[in-house]
Amino acid sequence: MSDHPTDFKGSIPDAIRDSICAALTDAKVEVAGGGGHYTIVVTSAAFEGKGMLENQRLVYSAIAHLMKGDGAPVHAVDSLKTVKPPKAS
Amino acid sequence: MANVESTIRELVTSKKVVLFMKGSRHFPQCGFSAQVVEILNKLVPAYETVNVLADAEMRDGIKRFSDWPTIPQLYVDGKFVGGCDIIKEMYANGELQEALGSQAQTAAKAATPSGPPVIAFTARAATAVQAARETPTDELRLAISPSFEHELYFDASQPGDVVVDTGGVTLHLDAESATRAHGLRIDFVDTASGGGFKIDNPMQPARAPAVRSLTPKALKASLEAKEKLSLFDVRTDGERATASVSAAIAMNEEGQRRLEGLAKDAKIVFMCHHGMRSRVAAEAALRQGFTDVWNLEGGIDAWSTEVDSSVPRY
Repeated sequence: MSDHPTDFKGSIPDAIRDSICAALTDAKVEVAGGGGHYTIVVTSAAFEGKGMLENQRLVYSAIAHLMKGDGAPVHAVDSLKTVKPPKAS
Repeated sequence: MANVESTIRELVTSKKVVLFMKGSRHFPQCGFSAQVVEILNKLVPAYETVNVLADAEMRDGIKRFSDWPTIPQLYVDGKFVGGCDIIKEMYANGELQEALGSQAQTAAKAATPSGPPVIAFTARAATAVQAARETPTDELRLAISPSFEHELYFDASQPGDVVVDTGGVTLHLDAESATRAHGLRIDFVDTASGGGFKIDNPMQPARAPAVRSLTPKALKASLEAKEKLSLFDVRTDGERATASVSAAIAMNEEGQRRLEGLAKDAKIVFMCHHGMRSRVAAEAALRQGFTDVWNLEGGIDAWSTEVDSSVPRY
């Protein structure tokens, strides 16, 4: 994967995680990757009863500010998985 | 800005299937776009593509229009369907075929001869599978690419899998691979490196067509002899303005329509600057079912040095 320059300071995976958790408070977030490309797995009850499109939209809107512009810290989300938490039995 | 928006709205409402992507249907310039093109090619004979790399305003416009940050983006019947991940999942579970309508369903049906394929493992192969299994929960999977490359591996079962019980060995295939697996025979044979699976697939075309190489001199001779062929130039407009071959058709939206309109056995030659991009395009054409596909080796650069020095090099 190519490298993408950014003037973002600090840990980008942390920024992704924090932004998603701020929007979806119960979310468990796993972030992998670097060089502008990230793989994200989010588990949240907010995904219950919604389609994949809506769920991915929820996550993308939470990190939109990190994907804006040419020097954006997040150049591409290579894979985004939205997972519903297992039902308590 | 409002302008782009209305252009997009006009486009997605006037055409049934529109894909906003990087590159073109015949020359995708990003892996995610390529994956979606591959899926759509299997399901619908014709669809509209918009190359966002050619138009920065469109690239930003479509992201705003869909409220979706990534490319590719697929629209069906004026509705935003999703990006690469979503389309792959919808393809696996059949939702995409449904959204694309009867055309796609007929195509999918035609591709599946009759129920699950019949596959045979030899006793030796079955034993080797059991010996190789490390995780009991993983399934033995077989993937067969459109060009009949076989890959046998262990992994979790996937939604939409075709499951074949071959007597002793249970094999999982994705629906697409299953259509290419009828009459498959899997053996385990000794090799120099200790042994390996040998897969005989009667569905594999006896001689799979390959991209053939054409020298600039041979192309010139063919053109002079007025041989019936179509020469497609896959370079950018800017490169074409710098140097071009008069007989070549620019591979833009119009060029794509010309290609799609050709008979599958028509002679097609692809060219670019040095022969690399054109080879990618030629291989894509093979996957589309074209059989007489040639690559101009060395591209327009070799054309300039070998047959027509009036064409500038760059």
